[in-house]
Amino acid sequence: MNQRGGWALIKSTWLSWMQHRSFFFLLAFMWMIPPLIYLFVWSTAAGGKTIGGFSRGEFVAYYLVLILVNQLTYSQTNWTVGDVIRSGQMNTLLLRPMSPLYGTLASEVAGKVVYMAFMIPVTAVLALVLHPEMHVTLQNGLAFVPALGLAWALRFFWGYWLALLAFWATRADALLGLQDSLVFLLAGQVAPTALLPGLMRQAAAVLPFRYMLGFPVEVLTGQLSTVELWTGFTFQAGWLFVTLLLFVTMWRTGVKRYSAVGG
Amino acid sequence: MAETQIVVHNLSKTYRVPGREPGLAASFRSLVRRTYRDVEAVRDVSFTVEAGEMVGFIGPNGAGKTTTLKMLSGLLHPTAGQARVLGGVPWERKPDYLQRISMVLGNKSQMLWDIPPLDTFHVLGEIYHVAPAELKRTLDELVELLEMQELLTKPVRNFSLGERMKCEFVAGLLHHPRVLFLDEPTLGLDVSMQGRLRRFLAEYNRRSDVTMILTSHYVADVVTLCPRVILIHRGRLLYDGELSRLAERLAPFKLIRLALSNERVENEPELPPGADIVEQENGRLTLRVARSAAPSITAHLLNTLPVADLAVEDPPIEAVIDQIYQEGDV
Repeated sequence: MNQRGGWALIKSTWLSWMQHRSFFFLLAFMWMIPPLIYLFVWSTAAGGKTIGGFSRGEFVAYYLVLILVNQLTYSQTNWTVGDVIRSGQMNTLLLRPMSPLYGTLASEVAGKVVYMAFMIPVTAVLALVLHPEMHVTLQNGLAFVPALGLAWALRFFWGYWLALLAFWATRADALLGLQDSLVFLLAGQVAPTALLPGLMRQAAAVLPFRYMLGFPVEVLTGQLSTVELWTGFTFQAGWLFVTLLLFVTMWRTGVKRYSAVGG
Repeated sequence: MAETQIVVHNLSKTYRVPGREPGLAASFRSLVRRTYRDVEAVRDVSFTVEAGEMVGFIGPNGAGKTTTLKMLSGLLHPTAGQARVLGGVPWERKPDYLQRISMVLGNKSQMLWDIPPLDTFHVLGEIYHVAPAELKRTLDELVELLEMQELLTKPVRNFSLGERMKCEFVAGLLHHPRVLFLDEPTLGLDVSMQGRLRRFLAEYNRRSDVTMILTSHYVADVVTLCPRVILIHRGRLLYDGELSRLAERLAPFKLIRLALSNERVENEPELPPGADIVEQENGRLTLRVARSAAPSITAHLLNTLPVADLAVEDPPIEAVIDQIYQEGDV
């Protein structure tokens, strides 16, 4: 472990990202567009009635929380891992007495700070205009924190192991695009997973994608019974365990291969 | 007696590269069945390096220099053979080992692009656990040696290649490595910047006694910095020793340059046996003669020809090296 180096990296990454804050603000804006569209679609469709138990105000609350959670769990660093491997930049990282994972984590932390500087005020303004309806209980609030942390870890390491395929294939990041599409469909973006049609709902419940995004939103907005909450946590922790195994295996075999074929 | 820091024994590296015939049909076949061929980048290379030595690794493109350097720095696993650097096996990449070496790559940067170099240096200081006071002392020394005070606070993206390379050197030396690998550190730099960096490396080696292995295509780098060269060609070690000896061994001849006075320019001069004309232009002649015959031929020339000027020289080292690259043998 090299915590000193890790912290220094976070600070410097943050400094260099602040040089381009408007670019990152634009990215953050781009990422909030799809959930924002569905916010308007569903809240308009609900009108004065409810759809699947959601009122207009509840749809607004669900999507505003989802916009924030999406931003907090989305790992844009996954997209750069492949470039680092392909360009041979991995060489400089492997020469340091510190795992290259630190650099990626530093970008994650630095990125979240920059994005939140944009997202929190924007969401607050949207909340003032759109009147969300949400009753957060202490239990939901407390459960949300680990659900969010696990969701980030799951999304980050899932994307990371996919990105590490770049050790073998040149254009492995196509799989990251696929992951984004599956998150869009099955993680509660196009609709809250409770509203998905039969087979899709069942798939969403067992596949990892809902646990990267939709699950913490459902926890905070109070849509889940106690049993559903614990089942959700079990799936989330189980998928994280599997993902970490995949990540460690891919990392070890990948670096071994890299040092066999050269960067 | 100096301590042996690098021991390389029968080191070999074979790459397996995918290959296929040209054309659409072959491209479809390769989808189903990929064919590979083995490329032997390094074959049975052995040598040792003592503490504080500066060794030049020379050889044509694709000779296996960078592959060897990458194995010694731990980036590549060898196919066969052993190497120990500072007592450790490089490709185990233990943090304790990486802490004591450094590699400066002329074509890769470890600077953070958007922030001033001073920030990157501080990050590296933290990564390598250099105490703040020590970091400041080292930085001051390196910055002074490289005359780069004014660069410290400008973003790296605005730097010229030479300015960036200065930063790469500082970044690579902040943690006081015991062994420094330099892969084409002067690549693409102008003549005066090359000279400056060479002077810096020589001075740094003198002060810190760091062991350096340098690859470069610029002969001047090797001539100025490295009393010892290791010559690699097609993956094999062809020569290991003093650069001057290499020239003697490889080029057992001398060049005699002479200028003749004007009246005999029109006619072909009569030359003694054993002197071959390499160049002839406007009364100026360059002759190639066997080393042992140089004195007698010189005397003969002075006696028989109207010599205005005469010089006996060793062939330029570039020509010697070119000859090896072409012929692949010493």
